[in-house]
Amino acid sequence: MNDLATLLVQQSINGVYLGCLYVMVALGLTLIYGVMNQINFAHADFVTVGAFTAFFVATRFATKVLGLGDAAAYLVSIFVALGAGAVLGLLVNALVFAPLRERGDELRPLIATIGISVLLENGQLALFGPIPFQFDSPFAKETIRFGRIFFTGQSVLVVVVSMLAIGALYAFMKFTFTGKALRAVSQDRETAGLMGINPDFLIGLTIVIASAMAGMAGALIGPVLVLTPFAGATVIVKAFAIVIIGGFGNIEGTILAGILVGIIEAFTVQYLGSGLIDLVVFVLLLVMLVVRPTGLIAERREENV
Amino acid sequence: MSTPLLAVESIELAYGDVPAVRDVSFKVDEGEIVTLVGSNGAGKSTTLRGVAGLMRPRRGRIVFQGRDITSLPAWERAIAGIALVPEGRRVFPFLTVRENLEMGGYKDRRDGARVGARIERMLDMFPRLRERAGQRAGTLSGGEQQMLALTRALMSEPRLLCLDEPSLGLAPLVVQEIFRGIRAINAAGTSVLLVEQNARYALETASRGYVLQTGGVIASGPCTELMHDARVRQAYLGRG
Repeated sequence: MNDLATLLVQQSINGVYLGCLYVMVALGLTLIYGVMNQINFAHADFVTVGAFTAFFVATRFATKVLGLGDAAAYLVSIFVALGAGAVLGLLVNALVFAPLRERGDELRPLIATIGISVLLENGQLALFGPIPFQFDSPFAKETIRFGRIFFTGQSVLVVVVSMLAIGALYAFMKFTFTGKALRAVSQDRETAGLMGINPDFLIGLTIVIASAMAGMAGALIGPVLVLTPFAGATVIVKAFAIVIIGGFGNIEGTILAGILVGIIEAFTVQYLGSGLIDLVVFVLLLVMLVVRPTGLIAERREENV
Repeated sequence: MSTPLLAVESIELAYGDVPAVRDVSFKVDEGEIVTLVGSNGAGKSTTLRGVAGLMRPRRGRIVFQGRDITSLPAWERAIAGIALVPEGRRVFPFLTVRENLEMGGYKDRRDGARVGARIERMLDMFPRLRERAGQRAGTLSGGEQQMLALTRALMSEPRLLCLDEPSLGLAPLVVQEIFRGIRAINAAGTSVLLVEQNARYALETASRGYVLQTGGVIASGPCTELMHDARVRQAYLGRG
């Protein structure tokens, strides 16, 4: 293989790895938007909570209390973070969204998400302080090479776990009764009610799924974050860009846009330098907003979820 | 005297502070087709939305099979046996025809075989839907969407089928097909509550009717009588 081909393959692999992380974060945003028509400004903080949960499980609880090896501890922590996200989603829905939904107001839940964000950030600040934690994945040290192409065990793990999670979500939405009902609620909540579908239950379920994915994303992304109570903010801006590029509420578009942004980022690092990543991504976002404001998969522009 | 399937007792329904239905009472007995006729804005559709649970009455009671359902949300009324084909059809545009029908059978989702068998029956009733079973519902013509909305409502095997303006915007031949379907459904044992702008179709299909005007009932009786009622003839049938 010549140098250029090697480079293209190498950066594409890096891009898919980054893209998977972004998709894991962005899907939750898009799901909640699709079903509730609501932007969740606390989503970044759900990612942070997942990252901290994974950090403490992987480096303290699973290793010291359960006596697991580093690798097993990290794997366990990914699923604990998933569960922590789900529980957080359950609480936020029960305490904030459900009561506000009953009053039938659009603006209040939106502002409430900002409140939840502030609460989570400052709560974690009080608990963990502002000094970044060093969250090392045991898989980051393993290097796999094919010829001149390298990747870490961590990137393989991220891609495999994310693909499984994304695939499971996709299959759920496409093939199960509940998943289809969720899409029905997102398309026409009132008519879904006429079918005997309880919209409140499905909206709650959506929030739980979205939050669980955010928690899992936190565990996967934690090792590359500067882990502070505000860590989620660094990925959320890109996740918003991905959601817009993919078409708000569109799952397939979000997956495609996430991988695309990951690959663009990898090549930007290679050819233009890492300082220009955000510039390139947001120029792309602006171009998309002008050229194709409904998102990548335009014929499905009105499909939410 | 046996209890009626549905008894609506002086309900008042309002959009915000604007009442659309002031004081409406009627009943539907088992096996009947009952129609609510009246001009635009008389409160027919609003009444139907009240029956299906899309609006809560400010006053009055709705009793279904002897049970007070006034405070039940729409989804619980659907499970109780009330199905509504809403005005404008409201199919789920991005679900396929088959998926739309599956949603109609949502309450029996744990018995996939039963839902599947019912879908086959629906597709038999309107073969045009079978041709389009895998297509997104949003791509169907208006008549096909109305057939889908109707069969989707039947998927729950309701005791009471409510229809809101099923002829709206459809070609006369399609309307006849839809009304044939409605009579067949009724003959098979489902009670029907029909709201229809086209009073002639409505009165020819139903056995009893209620005439609504500005949010209240002004006349009621067997359709054969209503068809000869001077007020009805003048206002809705276009003959003196």
